[in-house]
Amino acid sequence: MAVTAPPRPNDSPAPPSRGLGTGPRPPGILTDHIFRWVALASGLLVLAILALIAYTTIDNAWPWFRHEGLGIFADNWDPAKGEFGAGAMIYGTFLVGVIALVISVPVSIGIALFVNEIAHENLRKPIIYVVDLLAAIPSVVYGLWALAVLTKPLADIYQSISDATSGIPIIGDLTANPSKSGLGYMTAGIIVAIMITPIITSLTREVFATTPPSLKEAAYGMGATRWEMIRGSVFPHSRGGLVSAVMIGLGRAIGETIAVALLIGSSQHISENIFGPGDTLAAIIANQFGEAVGIQRAALIGMGVVLLVLTVGVGILARGIVSRYDRRSGAVA
Amino acid sequence: MLRSLARRGALVLAAFALPAFLLGNAATATTASQAKLASATIDGDGSTFQLGFNQVMIEGFKQQQRAVTVNYQGNGSGTGRTDFVNGVVDFAGTDAAYKSTDPQPSKPFLYFPTVVAPITVSYNVEGVKLNLSADTTAKIFSGAINTWDDAAIKADNPKAKKLPSTSITVVHRSDSSGTTANFTSFLTKAAPSSWTLGSGSTVSWPEGTQGATGNSGVAKLVKDTDGAVGYVDFSDAKASDLSYASIKNAAGKFVKPSLPAAAAAAQGAPANADLTYDPINSDGAAAYPITSPTWIIVYQDQSDAAKGNAIKGFLNYVYGEGQTLAPSVDYAGLPNGLLKKAKAQVKKITVRAS
Amino acid sequence: MTAVASHLTPLPKSRARKVKNFVATAVIGLAFVVALVPLVFLVVYVVQQGSKVISWEFLTEDLPFVDRLPGGGMNPAVVGTLLITGAASLMAIPLGVLGGIYLNEYGGRSPLARFIRFLSEVMTGVPSIVMGLFIYTLVVLNTKEKTGFAGALALACLMLPIVIRTTDQMLALVPSELREGSFALGSRKVRTIRTVVLPSAAAGIVSGALLAVARAAGETAPLLFTIGIVREANTDLFAGQNTALSVQIFTNATSPFSVQQDRAWGAALTLIVIVFVTTIAARLVTAFFARRQTA
Repeated sequence: MAVTAPPRPNDSPAPPSRGLGTGPRPPGILTDHIFRWVALASGLLVLAILALIAYTTIDNAWPWFRHEGLGIFADNWDPAKGEFGAGAMIYGTFLVGVIALVISVPVSIGIALFVNEIAHENLRKPIIYVVDLLAAIPSVVYGLWALAVLTKPLADIYQSISDATSGIPIIGDLTANPSKSGLGYMTAGIIVAIMITPIITSLTREVFATTPPSLKEAAYGMGATRWEMIRGSVFPHSRGGLVSAVMIGLGRAIGETIAVALLIGSSQHISENIFGPGDTLAAIIANQFGEAVGIQRAALIGMGVVLLVLTVGVGILARGIVSRYDRRSGAVA
Repeated sequence: MLRSLARRGALVLAAFALPAFLLGNAATATTASQAKLASATIDGDGSTFQLGFNQVMIEGFKQQQRAVTVNYQGNGSGTGRTDFVNGVVDFAGTDAAYKSTDPQPSKPFLYFPTVVAPITVSYNVEGVKLNLSADTTAKIFSGAINTWDDAAIKADNPKAKKLPSTSITVVHRSDSSGTTANFTSFLTKAAPSSWTLGSGSTVSWPEGTQGATGNSGVAKLVKDTDGAVGYVDFSDAKASDLSYASIKNAAGKFVKPSLPAAAAAAQGAPANADLTYDPINSDGAAAYPITSPTWIIVYQDQSDAAKGNAIKGFLNYVYGEGQTLAPSVDYAGLPNGLLKKAKAQVKKITVRAS
Repeated sequence: MTAVASHLTPLPKSRARKVKNFVATAVIGLAFVVALVPLVFLVVYVVQQGSKVISWEFLTEDLPFVDRLPGGGMNPAVVGTLLITGAASLMAIPLGVLGGIYLNEYGGRSPLARFIRFLSEVMTGVPSIVMGLFIYTLVVLNTKEKTGFAGALALACLMLPIVIRTTDQMLALVPSELREGSFALGSRKVRTIRTVVLPSAAAGIVSGALLAVARAAGETAPLLFTIGIVREANTDLFAGQNTALSVQIFTNATSPFSVQQDRAWGAALTLIVIVFVTTIAARLVTAFFARRQTA
């Protein structure tokens, strides 16, 4: 929209008819300052909310910490007798997380390698789209589906494995007493594995994609097969990112609530039967919240705090590992 | 196959509910109908034991008072009592009274008993009708008995054909439950030597047992798991087509869970002044020993006129048509003496004219 | 190292190496199939079960009074999910974008900005159940009622760090030359952001926001204790309880009554459609703008 300059009284040359010096006056320095503070306030909102979360949860959980002291880690969840040890839930959270990682990480790496190195160019985008869509499926739908479709067949599989391994010293103990309903650590672990695979896959894929092509070509140039190239160039380069992706997956697995609540079997004991029922921090909160007795409610909120600390801890660990690998390999952090 | 069975069961239930409902409506015409209430919404929370009954009540009440909406969420008796104390709901459903160790409501409140029903010991074992004594039940649920062909179970069922050697999977509630409180109260009273896990809304169940949320969750888990056993309210057990055991009562007879047996248990239980009472392990030859009471709790002083009148109207409906409709969803109405006292107690609710 | 002189004729690969390569390729391909099979199976199953129940009545009728009897629909839950997620988005997206702008345009690598970035990352890891507990103790207990708005607050707390981080990352991708050119022409910061930076990053920001919305729509745990339940649709987020598709699925999933199971599948299908549409929209936005920029 051309704006013609007003006629100039003296004979200095007319300024260009568009651009600088014409048009509505741009926002001044005041607007800049105001906007800066508004943006800063929004950023600080995160700080405020987290601080508030930390404060309200710890405040509400305090009676539990005071009541139990270090006993919060004991394996004795018995509200009727006034004992509120969360040991079984912490154990269950880690067990489910480890099972999920053991299943999910190799599969995710496989998908990432497939997409990056093996699949045809045209297949890549569709596969990535599909994986992202599957990451969007809500946890509750996974739980519903698993309840309807997975639990019965899994119960039979557990029984078969248990029968087959009954004599073997250590493994036999792990597989004894399988859950007849199919609910338990292993089932929850399998579902969580399915749920965290998309995110570990996409993170791993991005990490693999940063491998410099020169590194790959060098390997091929030396006569490597594709698998040798992957082992020699892609994996060493991606170590830090891989560990970080695994840690992020672990963080997601730890916090998984609804699907686990539906599948874990709700038994608050530390048990070596990985096919048997158990409980996790997130699941017990979802199932038992609203307890009338003050300390039990404090205990559940307190377990939320423990869960938060664990998740943050894993996150910090992930970043620490990444920066250590980055520093070692000389890449820019 | 189970699904079509359940569907048929649901249709049968509907078939029963419909004529009972119509009959109930016919009865309305003869009893004094209440004045039209002002528009209000009242929210309630709590016991899943009374959920089936409450839903039918809410539907029937809505037909009578179109301007009033009642919402009831089944989160467990413990949650109901807590939400009531915190003022987050207008009324709560609970199968157990406040314990002295619980946070108490700060204002005066009233217990309104609504219905009684059996808590069944439901099981998933093909082709057996079980009798269970309190002792055996306690041993099963505490893990002392592991298989269905155990000697103790055989002793209770001398005439039963071969019992399978399937292992027993105990199913209990994972949420805070009045049903758990009443069931464990029975075990503590009737089998004190075999049941050592205490009594309460949550109990430390032994290792290897499974938890489910709500009465319906337990029913589903028992139904889906071979060899499972669990405690489920009568209404959910019947609607899910579960088999349930006859339990030995205080008089030494094995009584099948049924509404008359529950009513007999309620008859034999004296009521306190605040209308709490305990029909568990009640005397009487025909009484079913694991009969659960259940209450709606309400604040005595209602500051919101529309809500207060709505609550009173709802309670009056429960004590009127509600008592007739109860059996259609497998709950027993209150014994006459208790019903009279409950109706009188509704008048104690004071509504602030605003 | 092999002899340099033979680099023109590549050395034959040994049998063992070829086999290893083949096996590895097969295993990788297998992993891919193993991963996708359950996921695709799930979607197919949900569509199969849900489409038996889905109908116009299902989406427009109220929840039945008596759960175990057939009839009724999920209208209150659909309305609840849309309204609560919408309200959460209205709160979280503008604040998140502003926060991301602060981090990238003003904060840069300052200690405060690094700290806020770290906290945002921490906050994305907060389990949704903890968010629900937090809003329950802070809001529901103090206002003494469960409302759709409380649920929206919980969801907004979940979305905020996601939007901040994606905005931050998208803005970082805008080449600094664009900003410098704008400054050179005399624009101040706000104008630069408004006219140059944001339009460049718009596709990524919108896409990130849509993904956060999809995530929020599917959440169950934050809503469990904060919104209560209703049988008829409640369009007032500030007065009265509400319900949502995710909560309905959770409640119905553990019921032994087949009618409730059917409703759960119908709700699951509805929810998946909402989530997929949002996710696909996010992808389309990215693709559309990418094409425009390269054109």
